Amino acid sequence: MSALTLRAVSKRYGTVIACDGVDLDIDPGEIHGLLGENGAGKSTLMRILFGLETRDAGTVLRDGEPVRIAGPQDAAALGLGMVHQHFSLIDPLPVWENIILGDTGRIRRAAARAEILAIARRYGLPIDPLAIVGTLSAGERQRVELIKCLRRDPGVLILDEPTSVLTRAESAELFAVLRRVVRSERRAVVLISHKLAEITAATDRVTVLRRGRVVFRSATRDTDVVELARQMVGRDVSLGAEAAALGLLPTGPGTVPDVARQPAMRLRGLVVRPFLNGVDLDVRPGEITGLYGAEGNGQTVLGDVLSGLVVPDTGIVELGGVPVALKRPGALHRAGLGIVPEDRHRAGVVLDLSVAANLVMKDPVVNRRRLRRTAERLAEEFGIVGASLDAPLRTLSGGNQQRVVLARELSAHTKVLVVAQPSHGLDVGAAEDLYARLRSCARDGVAVLLISTEIEEVLGLTDRIAVIASGRIAGELRTADATTERLGLLVGGVAR
Amino acid sequence: MSLAGDIETVLFSGVRLAAPLAFAACGEYLAERAGTLNISVEAMMLGAAFGAVAVAGLTGSGLAGLLAGILIGALIGLVHGVLAHGLTVNTFVVGLVLNALVLGLTSYLIATATPLSRPPERWPLLSLLVIIPSTWWLVDRSRWGLELRAAGENPQAAAMTGIRVNLRRRQALLWCGALSGLGGAYLAVGEVGSFNQNMTAGRGYLVIAAVIFGGWRLARTLVGCALFGLADALRLALPALGVTVNSQLLISAPYLLALLAMLLFASRHNQPHALGRPSPRSGV
Repeated sequence: MSALTLRAVSKRYGTVIACDGVDLDIDPGEIHGLLGENGAGKSTLMRILFGLETRDAGTVLRDGEPVRIAGPQDAAALGLGMVHQHFSLIDPLPVWENIILGDTGRIRRAAARAEILAIARRYGLPIDPLAIVGTLSAGERQRVELIKCLRRDPGVLILDEPTSVLTRAESAELFAVLRRVVRSERRAVVLISHKLAEITAATDRVTVLRRGRVVFRSATRDTDVVELARQMVGRDVSLGAEAAALGLLPTGPGTVPDVARQPAMRLRGLVVRPFLNGVDLDVRPGEITGLYGAEGNGQTVLGDVLSGLVVPDTGIVELGGVPVALKRPGALHRAGLGIVPEDRHRAGVVLDLSVAANLVMKDPVVNRRRLRRTAERLAEEFGIVGASLDAPLRTLSGGNQQRVVLARELSAHTKVLVVAQPSHGLDVGAAEDLYARLRSCARDGVAVLLISTEIEEVLGLTDRIAVIASGRIAGELRTADATTERLGLLVGGVAR
Repeated sequence: MSLAGDIETVLFSGVRLAAPLAFAACGEYLAERAGTLNISVEAMMLGAAFGAVAVAGLTGSGLAGLLAGILIGALIGLVHGVLAHGLTVNTFVVGLVLNALVLGLTSYLIATATPLSRPPERWPLLSLLVIIPSTWWLVDRSRWGLELRAAGENPQAAAMTGIRVNLRRRQALLWCGALSGLGGAYLAVGEVGSFNQNMTAGRGYLVIAAVIFGGWRLARTLVGCALFGLADALRLALPALGVTVNSQLLISAPYLLALLAMLLFASRHNQPHALGRPSPRSGV
């Protein structure tokens, strides 16, 4: 009997159909992949299962019995556990308080901590129960989520895009835990993802959603990435940038870099204690340079320095051979640096301002008509599709928001473009489009620095890769010479 | 009078003037940890002061007056909670309206609260010895408090975990109302012995300032209350000590001190992240 069954579940928001008669069977002892692009209805389906949304039609059965789920407490009582896409942890609280949040009854501090340690040991998820969650790395936070979930002994464990912020090693660790949960404890696992490589490597069965409908289901071993990609996108997917976007293996080197050219941007001895310990890096025009490394090794702070949010303790940033006065706000921008920041909601855009306002925000002109024309031209040029230029930016999809930032940062005098984790939260189509634009930028002679934790992205897109570890550049190599193993060693600080 | 005697007098009256602030601050601290920047604390104190004098005069019992104050404070907390965390009216608008409403109502009904013929009763001060530790325990040790803090820090995540964020916030406001009511009632029945128009005169705002001054920590919040109480006592004592300063100007002394103290000492480090932000819809 299936552990969890969905029969003809539908949900619409206004005129948009998020889920359209979805049937799904999840068996105990299997990892079931749920594959689909952003907006395919995966997350809506899971929100329904957790009582965070009410379904318009259909039934949900748990072990064959129809059930009613009015809220997260009901879902928990039915043995449904969820590890959320956007972490549902509360930063200022310690690990143990986060984990027992949602329980009932008196708090027993010592017992709770001991229990957490026991679970952590059993699943090989080392964690300090007293650590404040806000100080943990993405991988550690996910461990906390997992422990929180497993502690309630769920029959069905649902993971929503669990690896989107994890490094390779952390992802591997996660899948090892999942396999154990499935094989030896006979739980059912639903793995929601848009990464094909992950689905084919980790799951037993796979269901593909497209525009709210189930379009394909198969045992994972009877299908392959090409078939899955076609089903997910709804058309044939070529190799190259798209393959990289889909998380397939890279397809050889890009353009041949011209090393003789003067760097457009030089970083020399950048120190921001304790995050950056002397970063030296050159970014050349016409090239895409990748800065690869596991999360939490200083790349976020480097991005903040290049955004002008953080002034380094020491060190210089040279643009076109001229050092930039980093203490002066906007100096980097005026010197020709464009930046697409890591967390665009935090530092890239103002969600409640209009699309047009976001597009021209850095423009010194205050003439409304001219700003309007600029905004219209950029929207056209960068293919920004949405309700209207006057609608709040919030109403655009992630991909279109990202295009707004890119359009604004790429003005005529931009010599260096820094993009940090650009594909986070984008679906395949949007990521493909972004990659194509970055490539064409480089072809036009812009020096592009790609800060990324996604190895496929770095290998598939760059000409040269610098690896950052513990706030230093651990090594630099041409992408043509790079292999996953060599990069892995550098990331781990093993080799130079 | 000797200098030592003067100092003693000022200190003693400082403690007494700080007490109403301390009661209310325990409540406001808890409400803010749950995510409500509750400015109707002024209304809670003023309404309670009025109700306490009216009921104490009617029944002849100070205790009945205090209880009436607690009830009125809690009632205002309930109204605030339902409007702000049930009907999702902006919490600041609710607070401002309640403050104006209570000021108007108590001024209109002022004849009902005749001055008391009995001496002030200071014994309710002792209840602080219970209220302060239990507020700490509730917030930092109980499951209810953990859920309050979760609601104040990240309502979305709390709702995901199955916590009824708005319910918790309403409950926190109820507690805040009861304690602020006790503070206002104590001011009227325990210290002054009568009700005057606008007798709290912004003490509610001082309480909010104390919580901010305390950086959302209970102990430091109470230090803030003591400081403001002392400034108030000094203001009252200065004329008697022979120092002549414009009295209108002197009235503002505690508020100026509050401003200065916050400038120098306040830290936002511990500020609840979702303070003053309504909970998302799913978090009913």
